[in-house]
This record gives sequence, structure tokens and C-alpha cells, in this order.
Amino acid sequence: MSGPTRSGPADARHHMSDYFRLERWEIPPADGGEGFSEFAGRIPVDDHHRGAGGGLRTGALLTNLDSVGGFLSGLSVLPRWIVTTSLMVTVTRLDHEGPLRVHGRVLRRGRNSVVAGLDVVDEGRDDGLVAASTATFAVLDPGEMNLEFDRPAVVPMPPPTAEVPPAEAFFCIEPGMGATTRLRLADHLRNPWGILHGGSVAVLADVAACRAAAAASWGPGPAPKADEMAAADTVLHYLRPARVGPIEARCRVLGGPPGRTLVRVAIHDVGADDRLVSLGSVVVLAV
Amino acid sequence: MTVGGYPPPGHFLGDVGFDTEVLSDTAAVARTRVTPYVCGADGGARAGVLATLVDVVGGLLGVRILRPDWMATADLTLQLVRPAVGPVVEARAELVRRGRTTMVIEALVVNVDEHGDEVLGADGESAPAAWSTLTFAVLPGGNRTATEPLPFDLPPTMAISGHGLDRPLVETLGMIVDDAATGRVSLPVHPYLHNSIEAVQGGVMALLGEVAATEALGAATGRSGASMVVTDLQVAYLTLGRLGPIVSRTTVLDTGDVAGAGGTSGSAVVELIDSGAEDRLTTVINARGMAVESFVATAGPVGTTVAAAR
Repeated sequence: MSGPTRSGPADARHHMSDYFRLERWEIPPADGGEGFSEFAGRIPVDDHHRGAGGGLRTGALLTNLDSVGGFLSGLSVLPRWIVTTSLMVTVTRLDHEGPLRVHGRVLRRGRNSVVAGLDVVDEGRDDGLVAASTATFAVLDPGEMNLEFDRPAVVPMPPPTAEVPPAEAFFCIEPGMGATTRLRLADHLRNPWGILHGGSVAVLADVAACRAAAAASWGPGPAPKADEMAAADTVLHYLRPARVGPIEARCRVLGGPPGRTLVRVAIHDVGADDRLVSLGSVVVLAV
Repeated sequence: MTVGGYPPPGHFLGDVGFDTEVLSDTAAVARTRVTPYVCGADGGARAGVLATLVDVVGGLLGVRILRPDWMATADLTLQLVRPAVGPVVEARAELVRRGRTTMVIEALVVNVDEHGDEVLGADGESAPAAWSTLTFAVLPGGNRTATEPLPFDLPPTMAISGHGLDRPLVETLGMIVDDAATGRVSLPVHPYLHNSIEAVQGGVMALLGEVAATEALGAATGRSGASMVVTDLQVAYLTLGRLGPIVSRTTVLDTGDVAGAGGTSGSAVVELIDSGAEDRLTTVINARGMAVESFVATAGPVGTTVAAAR
């Protein structure tokens, strides 16, 4: 989730969006009318972010949906702010040309929560739809966070940088295969509250589900490899903050039609009494 | 048997029929029989009916956990992995998190036999039919519309029964397909399908979205709704549907093979509008469906458990 930074020297709000070079801009109500601003974002889809499906891997897509939806929803509840509680995404294409453009709007703003609808199109494919998502955010007291920024809010696209690590390295996901995948909770993966960024959880769920689906061989012929699997439709519930680490994604393959496997993913903070911090499901496709 | 007077006599939950059992402070199960009147093209209980099942068991568990507070379903996800052919389907629900304003429950849906034993896969392993999650918003102060006070000791088992169905549930509820090509389906609102706070029950809204998506995807793929199975529902409940008719507005997102099923598949977004309440948007449903022959070809690691997940 993205948002204003805690006052003080640390600024954790741009780690994720800078890595994906996410550009964001607020769209105020037309003609100065009442209502909530909408919000948009653009992701260039650099080569090192492409997954087995050919385009931006779904965990990365969720990271950016979280960033756009978080900013959108946060603006709607000022002077309070938000934290992500769930992301649900239906993926319609995996072979993106790029850039991808996200558009978000507030579907409902309540006293305790905000629901946002987000669509993603591929500008390189005539704005063809890539994904549709619904995200829910809990409203909270921002504490010492600095919530002052220019309106309409604009965050330009960061320039490309040399030697950017691939996603698994950037997100400190340990190499491996099978039902359990671990993430080392490095400081750059923490959000402004000091907890594991929701986007990191999404990428971990993506990688872990693909590894688990690959490991669960079935039917005639050789089992597919993890790099021949791509995450698609995903549901993630953010239950509790992950603060300590390491973070472990434990998967259960539930089955599905050939080439389409549903994987339940339970994410635990091993260093915090192994407590369950996120729960979700990922549909893994053989590509 | 009711909880605080819900469901009342002459209610669709009774006519479908549910048996519930509380296993602990944080776990419960609910069962319903798979009859032709609740089935889809795959011969199993349709996704909207299973959504109702998990909403019932989640609600039962939630009442016990939250009392004296009450709750309303905020979101529901359900993903089918194989046909829910029964003869009975059982939703096994467990509390995942209870917070100040929300509560999250997950449920695994399995086929069980007449004795209540799980129908295993060909390899002798567990073979779940679906996986589901529910988020409930906590309503402080209890259910102000309840006709009876909530009993202090809720019974560990309940049978919600009525006259039974004599025609498809979709017809019984009064759903009308106005235009299959555009996925426009309408539903009048009446007490027969109310939830405990006198709005349309959450499972019914999911079923309405499922029917709309099925029809629209069937038309968009050059087939008919009768040959499509909606396998995935992601339901966000925004406001209550109270007045009606509730009308669906469907947008087909894709028709292709992104689902990897090797056959016709597609996805759609269904918005449910309360036409009697100034066309208020009440619910948004992302749905995925596939050709019935692709879905029933489900093979694979029937219930293969790679690791203990909790």
C-alpha cells in the first residue's frame, strides 16, 4: 500500500512503486463537482518484471493495484488514512505488451472501510483489458503520518535504473521448490508503518503458488517447472501485520481442470509465534 | 429451528434445507442436499448455491463469536475446483481472524455421502469441491430487526427445513432472465429471500450474479448459458439490496483461454443495481466461467495435499 510518509527521516512510500516505476495521478471530479477523486497509474512493464506468461507477473500487478487503490482510498478518507484488508483480482491476459494503465474509483466509502474498483488495460494492445479488481481498505488513525501533499496528487514515473534485480531477488524470496516458500523481511520491504508491504505479500503468494503447483505433479507426462507456471486470478486477505520475519508461504494444492490449478496460500510470520498474517488463493496456469 | 427468529417459516433457506453443526468456538459445518433444483450444467450444486451454503455456516459461526453484536457479509469469494455433486455437500468453516470491525472466515466445501463421510478422490485422498472466504462487517449492538431475542445458549446443531423445492431454485426465487446476451437478470425483493436484517440474503445476490454471468458468457462464446459453468465468484457487498427489483448489469471481460482450461472460458463483471432505490449499486461480482465439458474434465491431484497449510 502506498501513501504519505511518516514524519521523520524514513520514507518508505516509494520503495515498491519506484521498483516498478509506477506513475500515478489523481483525477478530481469533473467541473469541480462533489464526490471522490478517481485515480490512475501507469506501469511500463520492464523486461526484468516479466513473468512466465510474458507480461507483468500477477503478484507484481497486485502490488501496483494496491498502490493505486491505496492512494485513491486514502484520499477519500482524509484526514484519516487506510490500510489494505483484501485484494481480489480477475486476470484476463498474461501476455502484456505494456505499458499497463490502471484506473481506480471508490465504490463505497463507509465509516470503517473503503471499497475500490480497479481496472487494468494494456496500452500496447489497444487498451485491451488485462485485469479487473476489487480492493477493500480499513480506515484508521494515521498517527504521526504527514498527510500534506499537493492536490491533485501526481507521482511521476521514475526513470529506469541500471542493474535492477529481478522480482524474486528484490523481494528477498529464497530459492526453492515445493509447498513452502520463504521471504526474508528486509527493511526496504516495509511500508511506512514498518510492516511488510502488501505488495510483497502478493509477490510471495504468486511465487509460492507457482512453485507448489509445479511440485504437485499429476497425470501423464513430466511435471511442469515453476517457470512454466503463471499466477492468474488471486484473492488475498491481509489479516495481521507481518513485522518480524522470516515470512513463510505455505501452500495447499486444491486441484482444478487440467492446466488450471487452485492453490490455497497461508502466509505466516515465523518470528512472531508463527502467526497467520495473510490468507488467500491463487489460480496457477500452465503456460 | 431459528436463531433469533431467522429464518422465518416460508423462507428459501428452509426450502433448500440446511443442517448445521457447531464443532467448537471457532469451527462449524453446514450441509445441504444436492438436488436437481440447485444444480448447474455440470450436474453439481451451482456456485451461487454453494455461496449460500458458506454464508449460512459463516453466519452461524459469526453469531456465536460476535454476540451480542451482529454482522453483515462484506465480501465473499468462492472457487470451484470440481463439480459439487454430493449427494450432500458440506462446508467446513473456520474462524481466521476476529477484529474490532471485521471478521474473516474460510470454508472448504467437500462432497459427502449419505452417512456424512467425505467422498474421496480416486487416489483415496481428500477431494474438495470448492474453497471460500467470507469477510463480515461487525454491527455493534446486535440485530435490531430480530423478531426474537438471541438465545443465550445457541444450540450446537440446527436443522433449517421447510417444504422443499419443487422447481429450480432460480425460478423459485423469482429470477427472470430479461436479456441473456447482455446478462440482464432481475429479481424482485420479498421476505422469502431476506437475510436477518431484511435485505436480500448474500447468497442470493451471489446466485443472481452467477446466473447473469452464466447467461452473458454463454452468449458471448456462441454457446448458451446452459452449457457454461461459473467456477469463480468474487463478491463485494457495498450496500444492502432492500427494495428491488435487483437488476444485473454485466460486462464480459474476456472469452478465451486465459483460464488454461483448454476450452472455452471467460470472465465477467456483474453489478447488481437496486432499481427501487434510485438505481443504487449494491454489489459487484467478478465471475469466471468455462464450458461444462472443460470443467467436468477435471483431473489432476484430486485433493493432493502438498503441505499442512495451517
